[in-house]
Amino acid sequence: MKSEVKFIAFKRSFVASLLTTAAAVAVASCSQATSERVAKAPAVKSAQVANYQGTIARVRRMTPEQYHNTVAYIFGADIDVGSPFAPLRRTDGLLASGAASVGVTTGELQQLQRSASSIAAQVIDKGSLDQHTPSRRDFLVPCKPVDENAADDACATKFVKEVGRLLYRRPLSEARVAEFVSDARKGANDLKNFYAGIAGVVEGMLLDPKVLLIADTTEPDPEHPGRRRLDAYSLASRLSFFLWDAAPDDQLIKDAESGLLFTAKGRAKVVDRMLASPRIEQGTRAFFDDMFGFEDFGNLAKDASVYPVMTGATIKDAREQTMRTVVDHLLTRNQDYRDLYTTRKTFMSPALATVYQVPTKPGWVPYEFPADSPRIGLLTQISYLSLHAHPARSSPTYRGKALRERLLCQKVPPPPANVDFSILENPNPLLKTARQRLEAHRANPVCAGCHKITDPMGLALENFDGAGRFRAQEKGADIDASGSLDGKEFTNVVGLGQAMHDHPQLTSCLVRRVYSYATGGPLSSADDGAITALNAAFGQAGYRYPALLRMIATSDAFYEIVEPAGETKAAQNSVSGQSETTAVTK
Amino acid sequence: MKNLIQKTAFAAVVMGGFGMATTVASADEAVPGLQNRTIGYVLTSANWGLYQTPDGKQECPDGFNEGPREQFKALYPNLGTVDGTQLERESASRYPMDKADNFPYHDVKGKIGIGLNLDGKVGENDFTSTDGEKGIDNNLYRAIGCTRLFRAPDGTYANFTDLWVREMNFNRVLVELTNVDSLTNDPAVDVTIYRGRDKLMTDATGANIMPGGSNRVDYRFGKNFITHMKGKIENGVLTTEAADVHWPWAVFLGRPGAYDFKGARFKLALTGDKAQGLMGGYSDIDTWYMQLVRSWSTHHSSYGGLSQPSFYRALHRLADGYPGPDGKMTAISSVLNIKMVQIFIEHEGQKVAAASDAKAKAAH
Repeated sequence: MKSEVKFIAFKRSFVASLLTTAAAVAVASCSQATSERVAKAPAVKSAQVANYQGTIARVRRMTPEQYHNTVAYIFGADIDVGSPFAPLRRTDGLLASGAASVGVTTGELQQLQRSASSIAAQVIDKGSLDQHTPSRRDFLVPCKPVDENAADDACATKFVKEVGRLLYRRPLSEARVAEFVSDARKGANDLKNFYAGIAGVVEGMLLDPKVLLIADTTEPDPEHPGRRRLDAYSLASRLSFFLWDAAPDDQLIKDAESGLLFTAKGRAKVVDRMLASPRIEQGTRAFFDDMFGFEDFGNLAKDASVYPVMTGATIKDAREQTMRTVVDHLLTRNQDYRDLYTTRKTFMSPALATVYQVPTKPGWVPYEFPADSPRIGLLTQISYLSLHAHPARSSPTYRGKALRERLLCQKVPPPPANVDFSILENPNPLLKTARQRLEAHRANPVCAGCHKITDPMGLALENFDGAGRFRAQEKGADIDASGSLDGKEFTNVVGLGQAMHDHPQLTSCLVRRVYSYATGGPLSSADDGAITALNAAFGQAGYRYPALLRMIATSDAFYEIVEPAGETKAAQNSVSGQSETTAVTK
Repeated sequence: MKNLIQKTAFAAVVMGGFGMATTVASADEAVPGLQNRTIGYVLTSANWGLYQTPDGKQECPDGFNEGPREQFKALYPNLGTVDGTQLERESASRYPMDKADNFPYHDVKGKIGIGLNLDGKVGENDFTSTDGEKGIDNNLYRAIGCTRLFRAPDGTYANFTDLWVREMNFNRVLVELTNVDSLTNDPAVDVTIYRGRDKLMTDATGANIMPGGSNRVDYRFGKNFITHMKGKIENGVLTTEAADVHWPWAVFLGRPGAYDFKGARFKLALTGDKAQGLMGGYSDIDTWYMQLVRSWSTHHSSYGGLSQPSFYRALHRLADGYPGPDGKMTAISSVLNIKMVQIFIEHEGQKVAAASDAKAKAAH
C-alpha cells in the first residue's frame, strides 16, 4: 500500500513536470515552426518548383487512429489504448486537417493521462498464467535488470533509447536520455521496482507534446539556398503519417538518419518500400474513411420498425464493404480511381447480403453484381445510401449534398434558418414519392436554390431506400430515378455512376484531399500550383491512386517549406533559426 | 428480364385450424428470393399442432392430466426409501411397461383439430379443421392436447422448441423449391429438405429472423436428413406428395436427435419472404417417446403435468398408422405448425450465384 502511494506520488510529480512544459513546448513549436517557414523567402529555381513550391510547416495533433496505430506498432496491437482523444473538427473536407487547428482541453488531457497510465501498465505487465495474459515486459523491455527490485541504469538506458526513438520519431539527445533514465531510477528506487520506474517513463513519454503533436521542424535547404525544408525526421514523420497513418518505423528513422531521404533516388526507394508495405492499406483506409466521412457511422441509427434489416452488424459491415472495395480496387488491382463509381466488384458479408438480397457465404467473400444490376459503384453501396438518409426514409438531398461536398469538393450552402420542412416531414399523403414531396418543397423559392444543387443527382438514388435496399416503387408509385449532374442528364443510377466517373472534379477533388491529408492541413492558394501539377500528372498516370501517393511523397514540394500567405509580415518580426525540437536533437 | 421476375399474387388462404392467413402481396411485386427457378426457406418456428380453446374445457372436458408430483403423492402417501420411491418412479420413465399404471389419462375429446388428412379418408374419429375440412388426422393432439406442458403459451415445450429451432444449428431445416415457374400456381415443383449449417440472423428488433440470409447445406453430417418430394402450388399454397422424413431435433444443451415421420407432407402458404403452414405425417412413436424422455426432466414434466409413463401408454394406445409385424401400430398421426423465412441455400462446391436484386431488374 505504501509503495502504491509512493508510485502514485512519483507518477504525479513526473507527469506534472511534463505537463508544465507541455503547453510551453507546444507554443514554442508552433511559433518556431512559423518562424522557420518564413525565415527566408523561397527561391524559384525552375519551372517545376515555380508551380509546385512546397507546403507550410505545421503543428498538428495526432488523430486517434494515428495514436492507436503508433502504440500498436511500438508495443503491440493487443495494447488497449482506450479513447483518449476528443473528436476532431472537419476542416476543408477532412478531419485530419482539423488536427492542425485543435486545442487540448483539460478534460482531454486527463483522458490522455489515464490512457498513458494504462498503456504503461500494460507495457510492464508481467502476465498471469491464471488469466492467460502474456508477460509483455519480457519482450517489450529489451533487457533484464540485474535486480528487479532496484534501479538499473544500463537496462533503463537501453529501453529509453529504443522506445524513445520510436515515440519521439527521432533519436533522443543524450541529455534527454539521461533525464529519462534519472526519472526511471527515481521511480525504481522509490518503489523498489525497476519496472515501476520504466512505467513512469513510458507514461511521461506518451503525454509529452512532442509525442502527441506532430510538429514540422525545418532547416536550411542546402539544395536551394535561401529556402527551408523539413528536417529528415519531420520528413520521415510526414511520410509515415501520410502513407501508414502511424509514426515512422525503425527503418524509416534509420533512413532519415542516413540522409537517404534527401536524395531523389533515396526518397523514391523509401517511398516505394512504404507503398509496398502491407501498412499502406492502413493508411489508405484511414484517408478514405476520413474523406467519406465514415466517422458518422458511429452515430448511425435506423428505425428498426421501418428497416428491420439494418442491424448493428449491417452498419458495421457496410463501412467495411466500402473500405474493402476501395483497397481492392485502388491498391490490390491498381485500377482507375474513377472506376470506383462504376465498378460492380465488391465484397459481401451475410449481414449485407440480406439488404442486397443476394446469396452469399459466411465471412467476407468477393462478389460481383451482374452487368444489368443497378448496383454500380460506391454510390449504390449500403454505406453511402444509409449514411446519407434519414432514420426512417431516404434523402435525395442528403445524398446529393454528400456527393457534391465529399466527392466533388463542392460547397452546398446550409438551409436558411426559417425553412419550412413540413411538406417533407408531414407530407400530403397524395405525394407518394420523394420526388413529388421535394417538388412541392421546392415550390418555396427560398428552398429551391439549394435543392436544385443537390436533388437532381440525389433523386437518381431513389431506387434505394434509407437502408440501401432496392425498391421499384414508393408507396405504390413507380419511382422515377432520372436526374442530372452538372449538365449531364441520365435516366437512372447507372447514368449517375457514369456521370460521376466522367466528372472532372471527381479526380481533382481526390487530388486536393490527398494533398491536404499528406501535408497535414487545409489547402490555401499557395498550394494551387501543386494541385494543378498533380491533377495533370494524376491523369497521365491513368488516375492510379498509388501513383498519386508516390507523386506527392517523392515530390520536392513534400519537404520544401513555404510561408503561408498573409503571415509574412508577422513572421518577419519573429526570430529565425532552428526549431526547438531540431535544436534538441542535433 | 421476364424470366427473372416472378409475379406473385397471393390469395388469402386459411389453412387448418391454425388460422393461417397468408400475406397478400401485389401482383406486380417481384420475388428477390426466387432466382434460377429456385427459392429456399429456413425453419424459424415449429410447434406441434394443437387446437386450443382459452380454458381448454371444450377439448379437455375432464380437465388436464396430472403430472409426476400428483402421481408420486398418490403412489407413496407414506413416503419411504429413496430407491423404493423416487428412483422406482423415475425409472418408470425409461421402462414404462415394467409396472402397471392405473392413473387416468385424459385424451382430447373435441372435434376440431389442426392437421392434414393423411390417409385420404374421413373417419369417425377424425377431426375437422377450423375451416371445415373433414378427415383431419392428428392423434398426437389427442395424446398431448390435455397436458399443460404442450399447451401454449404457458407450457414450456412450445417455448423451448422455438428456441432450439432458432439457436441450435443442428436444427437448421432448409426447404428448397426447385423448378418453380410461379409462387402462385405451378402444377409441378420439386421440394427438398436439407439440414443447413449456419446460424440464423435476427433483424434489428432482435425478435424476428430476417429473410434474405444465406445458409449452406450440410452434406457431410446432414445426408440422412435430405428428403425429396414432388409438389404443386395452387393459389400460393404448396402441397406435396408424401415421403418419409428424418427431421432434426436437437434438445437441451445441443444434444442431437430427430423425429421420424412416415408419409409426411407439407401444406405451406408461400410468399417471397416466408412460408408458413403445416408439415404432417405419422410420427414413429418410439422415437417420439425417446425424444421426450431424454430431454424433459422431472421438474419440467412436473410443471407441465406430464407423466411420462402414463403418456407412453397413451401414445401406444392412440397410435394409428403403420402397423408392425405384430399388427400393433408403430406411428401416430401428427402435425407441426411451421414457420419459415426465405433464405438463399448454398450447395457445397457451388460458387455464389451472381444474382442481383431481382426487383431492381424490373426497373432497368
